[in-house]
Amino acid sequence: MTRIARWAALLLILAMMTYPLAWMIAVSLRTADGVSLRYYGEVWRAGPFDRYFVNSVVVAAVVLVGNIIFCTMAAYAFARYRIRGGKLFFMLVLSTIMLPKQVILVPLYILMQRMGLIDSYAALTLPFLVDPFNIFLIRQYLTSLPTDCEEAARMDGAGEATILFRVVFPMLKPVLAVVAIHTCLTNWNSFLFPFILTNSASMRTLPVGLALLSQGAHSIDWGHLMAGAVISALPVVAAFLVFQRRIIGGLTAGMSR
Amino acid sequence: MSRSRPALSPAVWFLLPWAVIYAAFFVFPFVFSFVLGFLDYNPLNVAQTRFVGFAHVARLVHDPAFGEALRNTLLFVLGTVPVTTTLSLALAWLLRGPVPMKDLFKAAMFLPSILSIVVIALLFKLVYAPGGAANQALALAGIPGHGWLTDPRTALPAIMVMDVWAAVGYYALVFHAAFTSIPEPLYEAAELEGAGAWATFRHVTFPLLKPAIGFVLVINTIRSFQVFVEVLVMTQGGPLGSTNTLVLYLYETAFRRLDYGYASVIAYAVFILSAVFSVLAMRRLRAPAGGGMTA
Repeated sequence: MTRIARWAALLLILAMMTYPLAWMIAVSLRTADGVSLRYYGEVWRAGPFDRYFVNSVVVAAVVLVGNIIFCTMAAYAFARYRIRGGKLFFMLVLSTIMLPKQVILVPLYILMQRMGLIDSYAALTLPFLVDPFNIFLIRQYLTSLPTDCEEAARMDGAGEATILFRVVFPMLKPVLAVVAIHTCLTNWNSFLFPFILTNSASMRTLPVGLALLSQGAHSIDWGHLMAGAVISALPVVAAFLVFQRRIIGGLTAGMSR
Repeated sequence: MSRSRPALSPAVWFLLPWAVIYAAFFVFPFVFSFVLGFLDYNPLNVAQTRFVGFAHVARLVHDPAFGEALRNTLLFVLGTVPVTTTLSLALAWLLRGPVPMKDLFKAAMFLPSILSIVVIALLFKLVYAPGGAANQALALAGIPGHGWLTDPRTALPAIMVMDVWAAVGYYALVFHAAFTSIPEPLYEAAELEGAGAWATFRHVTFPLLKPAIGFVLVINTIRSFQVFVEVLVMTQGGPLGSTNTLVLYLYETAFRRLDYGYASVIAYAVFILSAVFSVLAMRRLRAPAGGGMTA
């Protein structure tokens, strides 16, 4: 295939990927009295997408911090200490990454209900504070790092926690960036668990709020629906435009190895 | 510090927060789910819980609604996974080497993977609406419009097309990353041998890409077996049950009919089916040993 034909094919794909999104934005802006942000204002206040937005931010922030700290600690333990059966145990944990999450849906709901945590920030964050996939990423990165600095700090009499958080932690920046991207994206877009674990408008996250808006009375109220969809997507799209190379690289390169 | 008892290894402390959360919110529910499958558990009357053995499993086999959900889910998986994999390989192939505006193309392909499935589902509900993009495109060609999501014959295929749109770019970029790790001299050698584009792909690229293809097949198969949000948002399983899927049925069994025990058996069925199909996909990939390049 010639270079021109290849490029033309890519242009066609570009159009196919972006056309529905352009359509979404157009519908959200086209109101009875011309182009305006009216639907955005209405869905923001009455949706109430302002509340969903705050919930999504709070949940993503808590889950992000939890993953950064707890997964780093666990990865460090798996990478640097001799634990009897540690390797086998780690492999076992890794194998659960692929498991369809629906298997734990009903029992997790019962558990949360028994603990009186349904419809709370605890239900939206606690189960997601650690992700084995993040432990895997950090451990992989750790095993490629030399241990010289850690040994030197140990010689100087630094405690193990100091070594981890003061010496090792700053060196993990590149992999923690990938962990942060993966965690924020997964969490921001998560639907099934927040949908099941909440039941009031004040605890919904953006995807749940949007899905429920699309049911019932608003089902073909496209202007409001698309405005809500744009509000849900805007933060991640903005972050994507800024950190594009890093995000694509972090989430695709080496995934298959 | 000065106790005679030996200090607990620091590793234990480092593992503790993760282990507690993982045990409470993953291991326990996972085991509990298995146990639930053998119980008749009514959340409104927990005291009446009783052991029913394999009754739920037996019920599954003869449940027409489960059969319908299984058939639709298999259609969805078998109809989307091979198409998505082939198309994404083709897209990655288009992206190889120096291409003007490459970053823009990559960004566009990746875009759907940063969007929530809820957003994508709503977007395509609009595309398939009576005056939506799909019918307008057909109108250009003089073909009359169609109620894509209201016709039982086209509702599931319409959702499958959406899934391919949403997934193809991500896998294309996974393949693209794998392509760039193939050493250039191999292509030069192939060119010297007089190999055409197809022969080069067949005997150089494909064998080296097998691990990436395996990864894509497995994660896409597992993901596709879980199709739910799309259906919930776009059709709610209709029309006439034509888009009822396993996870939608699981959701309705658990949270509409409060039949937690039976729902757990359905959940395990999803788990086992996706595991079996992943293994089958890997097997098929290994069977026809393409070129002699495989390690």
